[in-house]
Amino acid sequence: MKVIRRWVKPTSIALTILMLLISVPFQSVLAAMIGTETVMDSARGQEARAYLQQLLAREDVQAALIAHGIDPMEAKSRIDALSDDEVIRIADQIDQLPSGGTSFLGFLLVVTLVLFLVLVILDLTGVTDVFPFIKSQR
Amino acid sequence: MFLHLLTHLRNDSMAICRVYFHMHGILLLIVFFVSLLGGCAGFRQLEMPPLPENAPPSHELAAVPFFPQEAYQCGPAALAMALSSSGLPVIPGDLVDEVYTPSRKGSLQMAMIGATRRHGRLAYEITDLDSIFPEIAAGHPVVILQNLGLSWYPVWHYAVAVGYDATMGNVILRSGVTPRKLMPFGVFEKTWARSNYWGLLVLQPTQLPATAKEKTYLAAVLGLEKARQFQASISGYTTAITRWPQSFPARMGLGNSYYAIGDLKSSERAFRETIRLHPNAGSAYNNLAQVLLEQGRYHEALGAARKAVSLGGPLEARYEETLREIKSHIIR
Repeated sequence: MKVIRRWVKPTSIALTILMLLISVPFQSVLAAMIGTETVMDSARGQEARAYLQQLLAREDVQAALIAHGIDPMEAKSRIDALSDDEVIRIADQIDQLPSGGTSFLGFLLVVTLVLFLVLVILDLTGVTDVFPFIKSQR
Repeated sequence: MFLHLLTHLRNDSMAICRVYFHMHGILLLIVFFVSLLGGCAGFRQLEMPPLPENAPPSHELAAVPFFPQEAYQCGPAALAMALSSSGLPVIPGDLVDEVYTPSRKGSLQMAMIGATRRHGRLAYEITDLDSIFPEIAAGHPVVILQNLGLSWYPVWHYAVAVGYDATMGNVILRSGVTPRKLMPFGVFEKTWARSNYWGLLVLQPTQLPATAKEKTYLAAVLGLEKARQFQASISGYTTAITRWPQSFPARMGLGNSYYAIGDLKSSERAFRETIRLHPNAGSAYNNLAQVLLEQGRYHEALGAARKAVSLGGPLEARYEETLREIKSHIIR
C-alpha cells in the first residue's frame, strides 16, 4: 500500500501534464473553424431581426405603438439590443399568432394583454397605481 | 390521480407501438359506443388536400419492399422499408438495436432520425399534411407516425405511406403485418394529425424532396455532418447548392465537411466561392484562414484572418483567436 501511495501523486501529475499536452493542440485547431451550426443559427437570427424590423416599419404597427406610448425608434433600437436567440424566439411567437385577416388584431390583442399584465404586476409591487382595485403589497 | 395517469400516458406516448390491439380494441369499442350516445358528432368525411397540377390523381410506389413487424417493433420495420427503398439493403433486425427502446416497447422519433443518418441517408422531416402526396408522386415513400387511438389514450404506430388514390379517397400504407393497407383519407388524416403530421423522408443525399424547403433541407444535411457522415454531407450540401445557389450555410457546410475529411484543397475552394458570393462574411474568411494555415501558406492565411477581424460581427473574438494563432506560426 505504501508503495502505491508514494507513487500515486507523481504518476497523476505526470498523467495530467500528458493529457494536457495531447488535448491542447487539438483544441486550438477545433476552436479556429466556425461550425456550420453556428453559421445557420446566426443566419436565422439575422432573418428574424430583418422580419421584426420590417414589421416595425409598417404604418399600422407604428400607429399602434404610438397609441401605446412607445416610440417606434425606441422599439427599433430595443430589437437591435436583443441577442439572436431572443430575436428568434420573438419572431417565432409572432408567427404562431393566428394568421390571415385576424393576424394584426391578434397581434394587438397580445400587445395589449402584455401591457395589462405588466401594469398589474407593477401595481402589485407598488411601482404604479393604475388600477384602483389592486392594492399594493407594500 | 386520474390526471396524473393521463399525463403519464401522454409522456410515454411517443414510443409505444403495438401489433396486437386486444386491450386497446376493447377500450376503443367502449369509447365508440359512448360516442354513439353523443349522436355521432365529429364523423365528418374529410377531403384530400389538392394535389399539385402535374401529380396524377392516383399513384402507388409498388416497388417499396414490405417487412412485417415483430411484436411492438413497427419502428424498425418502417425504417427498414424506407432505407431499402433508398437503395440500402437492410432488414428490420439490423435496426432493432439502433431504433428500438425495449423498456418503452417502441421507437422514438429522434432514434428513427439518428439511425437514418448513421446509415448515410438524409432524414428530412415533414410536419404538414400538404407535403405527403406530392412526395409520393415524386417517388418518395414517407414514414409516418400515427396515433391509432385517442389523444388521451394513444396507440402510437409507424407506417410507410406508399400511395394514394384521390378518386377513391384512399391512402395506401405498408402497416404492421399488412403489406397493402387501404385507409380512407378521413381516418388517415385524423390518426396522423395526432402526431402533428410527423413524417420522415429517407433519401440519398443527392436527392431533393419535391417540397424541399431550404432551411429544413439544410438542417437535415447538418444532421449528417454532425453524425460524422462527411461524404454524405458533402453530397447533401452540393445538392442544396444546385437548388439554392446563393445559400450561405450550404457553402459554409460544404467547406467545413471537406475540412473534416482533410480535403484542404476542396475546402479552400468552397470557402473562396462563399466569399465571392458573400463578400462580407467574416466566418468564411476565418475558416479560409485556418485552411490556408494548415497548408503552411502563412501569409495568405494572415491576410484572410485580418479581413475576418476587420469585418467584425458577433464572432469577432473567434476571428482574433485565429489571427493570433497564425501570427504565432509566422514568428516561429
